[in-house]
Amino acid sequence: MKIEKLLHKLQAFFDTERHKKRQHVQELKKILLKLKKKERKITHALQQADDDCLIRRYQTELEVIRVQRKKGIEVLHQLKKLKKT
Amino acid sequence: MHKVLLLIVIPLLSYGFWLSDEFKGIAAGVSIFLFGMLSLEQGFKAFTGGALERILQKTTNTSWKSFGFGFLSAALMQSSGLVSIITISFLSAGLLDLVAGIGIIFGSNLGTTTGAWLIAGLGLKVNIATYAMPLLVFGVLCVFQNSKQLKGAGYILTGLGFLLLGIHYMKESFEHFETTINLANYAMPGVKGLLIYTAVGIIATVIMQSSHATMLLTITAVSVHQITYDNALALVIGANIGSTITAIIASFGANIQGKRLAGSHLLVNLLTGIIVLLFIKQFGSAVDIISENLGIAASDSAMKLAAFHSLFNLAGVILFFPFIHQQVLLLERIFIEKRPAIFKPKYLDPSAMDFPETVVESVRLESIHLYENAIHIILHTFGLRKHDLQKNDLLKQLIGQNNHTIEYDIDAVYERRIKGIYSAIIAFISQADFTWKMDQSSKLSWLREANKHLVEAVKDTKHLQKNWSRFRTSANQATINEYNKIAYQLVLHIQQIENFRHEIENNELPLLSLDALKAIIKNDDMQMNRAIETLIRKQQITPETGSSLINDSTYMYSIKKNLLKAAETLFLSKDTSAAKVEQQLALNEVEINDVIQAVDTPSMHQPDR
Repeated sequence: MKIEKLLHKLQAFFDTERHKKRQHVQELKKILLKLKKKERKITHALQQADDDCLIRRYQTELEVIRVQRKKGIEVLHQLKKLKKT
Repeated sequence: MHKVLLLIVIPLLSYGFWLSDEFKGIAAGVSIFLFGMLSLEQGFKAFTGGALERILQKTTNTSWKSFGFGFLSAALMQSSGLVSIITISFLSAGLLDLVAGIGIIFGSNLGTTTGAWLIAGLGLKVNIATYAMPLLVFGVLCVFQNSKQLKGAGYILTGLGFLLLGIHYMKESFEHFETTINLANYAMPGVKGLLIYTAVGIIATVIMQSSHATMLLTITAVSVHQITYDNALALVIGANIGSTITAIIASFGANIQGKRLAGSHLLVNLLTGIIVLLFIKQFGSAVDIISENLGIAASDSAMKLAAFHSLFNLAGVILFFPFIHQQVLLLERIFIEKRPAIFKPKYLDPSAMDFPETVVESVRLESIHLYENAIHIILHTFGLRKHDLQKNDLLKQLIGQNNHTIEYDIDAVYERRIKGIYSAIIAFISQADFTWKMDQSSKLSWLREANKHLVEAVKDTKHLQKNWSRFRTSANQATINEYNKIAYQLVLHIQQIENFRHEIENNELPLLSLDALKAIIKNDDMQMNRAIETLIRKQQITPETGSSLINDSTYMYSIKKNLLKAAETLFLSKDTSAAKVEQQLALNEVEINDVIQAVDTPSMHQPDR
């Protein structure tokens, strides 16, 4: 049983397709993290801004990041679902 | 260099004004005179391609016709200086070529000698300064008319008025000099006297800005035997050389052709003066013979002086008139036209042509060079430099502070900073892209498109500049605010593209930042149009100004879009694994529109402030 499990793990390790998928997930997680940091940074800038034009820009930027993150999380869920199946 | 000179001249002038009222009058005279020149030039420009050009072409299409034109004009106006000024204006406006201009100068040199005959014969001097006031009144009246021709005529009349007024001021201020120059006290025989009196004639004419004034002094002095006849001849020679000063002053405000003409005037009069000085005895004898034939009494030195004036100017015409074309060549060598330094490509090396990847990279780097130049032009249009983009808090205040923005000639800068590089890139790409495999060929094609976007952005900036310069000084604050908003939004956009470049360097999701920039551009455009409509509805701006604003906001939108497209191609690499993942999260057109709508609706997810 133990050998079977080990073989299974080895097979997974050498499976390039799975390796790629795992890398993809890692990359996506990194991007989502960066987006979150960026969102915080812009939120802070928005709180400091007193210029209408800048405020509108930051708001647009925040909304874009929100949608991008939403998309990213959906993709991540799909990838995780695929991994389970 | 010019700025340093200005810093020296201003305190010197100020000190001079404080020191002497006469100096103030002379300086004001020169300024009014030069302003008249500018006005005259503007007036003649209004007739370019019209009737005046046809008349001038017909009356100056041969050297002899030009000579006749100059002779008649100077005889009628009684001022060779004025004729040379007008000719310089014609040249600067492109209505005449240099050969015709020099022909006119020869004619006016001879034509102006009729003045000496009038002074000596009739004791009459036509005082052209008295015409200044009516010329100014009629001129200004015409300037306010709508017709282009009338406006042009107005500028010509005003220009002439200012010229005469300037001369008048100078003469008034020199009045005490005229009274203090007592020629009788300084009579001198021989060669020494000849040279010194020539110099005196030059200086007196330069100071009084009129050879007629020197002639008047000389003829009066010689007629009452205050000076010897020989000294008087030298004074006339000096006056003739000194009379070129008017053209020299006028050429300061003229282009290179005007400077060449003033150079020709000085050259001819100086050489004629030297020749006449060398053969003064022969000329004296010739004047005696001519005077005898004309029935002038041997003792009538005044009339003989007038004959001498005509004779030596005629000698100048005979000696130098046949060599006009040689003169033009010489002047073109002396006065070399400074061409603007044209920016040349830095990275396009023909030896790289055998290496497809190198060619693509060279074109990309050269395109970035073009991008930098395009950004320089756009920022400069609004009075900014690239380093100003870092001054976040001051950006709004800095826009348009620099008054040079109004005079910023985008066409000229385009020729200097864009055209050469753009043409070189296009030529380089067209030599390369036929022979290569698909990948490099399509990359080059994208780069060509990016360059096209940059050129379009600069051209749109030129269109935008027209109204930006016009309306930023408008009496309507709402209009000024909207134009400042246009400029501010554009500058912010460039700042964001620069940030986008840093994001690429630091790998901070540049591809996803593009979405935000695209959404911001669209949102700005929508908000701008909405604001303009509101201003028109509330009657805070006229519909005419509103339509200009809408057009200019469209230019702004186009500039932003073109810059972004170019930046996307030039700076962003979509081949990395991170970029491929980012692409999954990038928004499509519909999603971007949804974002704009979400921001626009009050119920959007706003962070706590």
